[in-house]
Amino acid sequence: MKRKLKSRRVVFVGGGLTAALAARKLVSEGVDVLVLERGRDHDAGPEQRLPSQRDELRWGVRNHLAQDWSIETYTLRHSSRETALPIRTLEAFLPGVGIGGAGNHWNGQTFRGAEYDTMLRKRLVDRYGASPIPAEMPIQDWGVSYQELEPYHDTFEKLYGVSGKAGNIRGKLQEGGNPFEAPRSGEYPQPPLEITEAGLILSEATRSLGYKPFPMPASNSPKPYVNPDGMRLGACQYCGHCERYICESNAKASPEVLLYPVLRKSANFEIRPFSQVTGIAYDRKARRVTAVHYQDLQTGDEIEQPADIVVLSAFPMTNTKLLLLGKIGEPYDPATRRGVVGKNFCHQTMSAINVFFKDRWINPFLAAGSSQTLIDEFNGDNFDHTGLGFMGGGYIFNNTTNGRPISTRPLPPGTPAWGTKWKQASADWYAHAFNISVHGSCYPHAENYLSLDPTYRDAYGQPLVRITFDWRDNEVKMSEYVTRKALEVANACGATIVGPAVPRKGPYDARVYQTTHITGGTPMGADPGNSVVSTHLQHWDAENLFVVGASTYAHQIGYNPTGLLSAFALRLGDDLSAYNRRPTRL
Amino acid sequence: MPSLNTSDESSEAAPSRREFIVKAAGLAALLPLSTKGGIAEAADAASATTPANTPSTAVGSTASNAATPPPSPGYTFFGPDEVTFVEAMMNVMCPADSLTPNGTDCGLSIFIDRQLAGDFGKGGRLYSQGPWQPGKPQQGYQLPMKPAEFFAAGIAAASAMAKERYGKSFDRLSPADADAFLQDIAAGKVTGARLSLADWFSQLVYPLFQQACFADPVYGGNRNKVFWRMVGYPGLPAFHGTDMVEFRGKPYPGAKQPQSIQDFS
Repeated sequence: MKRKLKSRRVVFVGGGLTAALAARKLVSEGVDVLVLERGRDHDAGPEQRLPSQRDELRWGVRNHLAQDWSIETYTLRHSSRETALPIRTLEAFLPGVGIGGAGNHWNGQTFRGAEYDTMLRKRLVDRYGASPIPAEMPIQDWGVSYQELEPYHDTFEKLYGVSGKAGNIRGKLQEGGNPFEAPRSGEYPQPPLEITEAGLILSEATRSLGYKPFPMPASNSPKPYVNPDGMRLGACQYCGHCERYICESNAKASPEVLLYPVLRKSANFEIRPFSQVTGIAYDRKARRVTAVHYQDLQTGDEIEQPADIVVLSAFPMTNTKLLLLGKIGEPYDPATRRGVVGKNFCHQTMSAINVFFKDRWINPFLAAGSSQTLIDEFNGDNFDHTGLGFMGGGYIFNNTTNGRPISTRPLPPGTPAWGTKWKQASADWYAHAFNISVHGSCYPHAENYLSLDPTYRDAYGQPLVRITFDWRDNEVKMSEYVTRKALEVANACGATIVGPAVPRKGPYDARVYQTTHITGGTPMGADPGNSVVSTHLQHWDAENLFVVGASTYAHQIGYNPTGLLSAFALRLGDDLSAYNRRPTRL
Repeated sequence: MPSLNTSDESSEAAPSRREFIVKAAGLAALLPLSTKGGIAEAADAASATTPANTPSTAVGSTASNAATPPPSPGYTFFGPDEVTFVEAMMNVMCPADSLTPNGTDCGLSIFIDRQLAGDFGKGGRLYSQGPWQPGKPQQGYQLPMKPAEFFAAGIAAASAMAKERYGKSFDRLSPADADAFLQDIAAGKVTGARLSLADWFSQLVYPLFQQACFADPVYGGNRNKVFWRMVGYPGLPAFHGTDMVEFRGKPYPGAKQPQSIQDFS
């Protein structure tokens, strides 16, 4: 049945982290806000309760908190000359479903990004001149400085009770923190998590090489915490079930634990689960959006929800898809390099080296999602790239987040894949190994972009988003360089066995989990010629349409994206408040 | 018991029946032992009396290398011939040794049976719309078969290839031959079947094997947490707030007695 509902003031598409943050101010001002979310409320389900929460097969391997690929997946090709095929079961990244979105099943690794990240082009041109930036690398400034974002970072970290050790407070370097950190207005709201045995090993090794290790900024609460809204986090149990799981101890900051309960207390706020948005109605003449179309997944009703203001706050793939479907903005064309929607699609450049210690107990199961130790010397533009032939970098860390034994069981090179020797190696090394990983940037490439697939459709009859992506020369060279640095760290750990260093290489592999850090598709900027939304996240072609989240990143930073996109979401909250009072181009 | 595969009656069903009788006899003979304890004791008994990798007459024979095979809960997806193949395969990939009982007795075949019978086997979360065409490996699985159908087709193809190569059915091969055959399948050296046995093995068999070993025993594999105990994964409830400091860099006592979902149900 088709139905048209009464108009609402502000409608968000996607009930994850960014919607909750961007809606805060509006809701506190009494503005009418509706959030449409395709999934359900996870509160008190089997995903959040013992013993079912600890089920590795269900959540960790079959990925039951992530998008159901039978309903909607993406197609993949490595260049625009190839035919894309549907990724029938996607492992490379894991969009969330349900209230809280991917913000539920994250690890909690919470970085602000480097001071220069949002003004990267200016930074690189100032340092190296324009010539080392290849023509096919559309690096651009996002147009908002770190200094402007700092208060929003500060607010977000207090809301999330982020733990860590400051490395730079108002320009003054702090012992034990990250010397490359963007200047903070104060210390982290909570002290660092307990260090792991692997972290002790990495600290010693990196110090011996002259680097400065520091604890990862974490949204896993080291002790009970009450945020400025009066919302509570429990103490982290170091249970090793963060990423792909919902925390059963309410110790991992997430939208469902900290943000939505506050919003839901207000009568002017509504979140509507089981609402699958299928389109945004766009009045091309008026250059305005007028309504959101969605399907009620519990009744099958097709519903038109008129709105004065629309905010796309879904995963990057969905934000991009809705703009392409609605023909809002010019789709990017790699042949002419014109158009913007789908442009600057990036992922995260990962690599790893396993290290094995005969006489040390790593106990990988004693860990939280962010209880890692890292060095930042080779991230982003923290080091001189003169003559290196690439841009960007990554942080090097002991990637010990869990000891879930189906997936986390490093084996020395040469171990048979089954049989007694395989079992013996599993028994010998399970508690005595970890991996040293590189979490690296991914800069845009003219051939990496999103578009609508001409052939394959989702369960609602709409085209799948087509990914055209590969690891291009810049990322391959970057990964080779930083992975070599990681190997030096691995070799300094005193390990019994150091596994092979495996830098990231193409072809891009949909079967291998990399991270859930998909960025771009609707990049932001000050120039409508290379961006989908303005520096205020306002769509250039529809004044009453805003886009928020990692889809607005113009490149992928070397850090986990959540901290930075949260600051942008809070800043959007201020912009939405202003726009609501006086609708205009911001 | 009526067989659905009447055409195979002479070649395949006969060994299955033989198997059944051998197992039943073995069980009856060893009943007194099995009353005294669970599978852990059984495993210890097996390791005390049977050195690792003791050659047996055929990999399909479970009675010769396990002191007290636990009674099978029964299969819901596999037919008898498939059971024979899968049990033999799991016993090659997980032979009885000082670490664990054989794969069948660890519940590995039951785990796979249950997975294929359920949502996973039906491709519950698999994008299943055409058109279908072969892709690059990095684009992932591109066949119209659901995992359960693919698994069954792979068994049939691998059985036929084993017979072609060795002149007898897979479960009648010596452990060394059976292992070499699986190694060759994994390496893409067994060709000639309509479907790629290498893909079948790497995309379905091997992941299911690892999951069968290390998933919570509630799914039927990892019986009695034998693999968790083997590696020292303590399982549930994983409240390690104080352990994190107390046992940093030290052996964790809970690793010797893992707990699973059943212990909290």
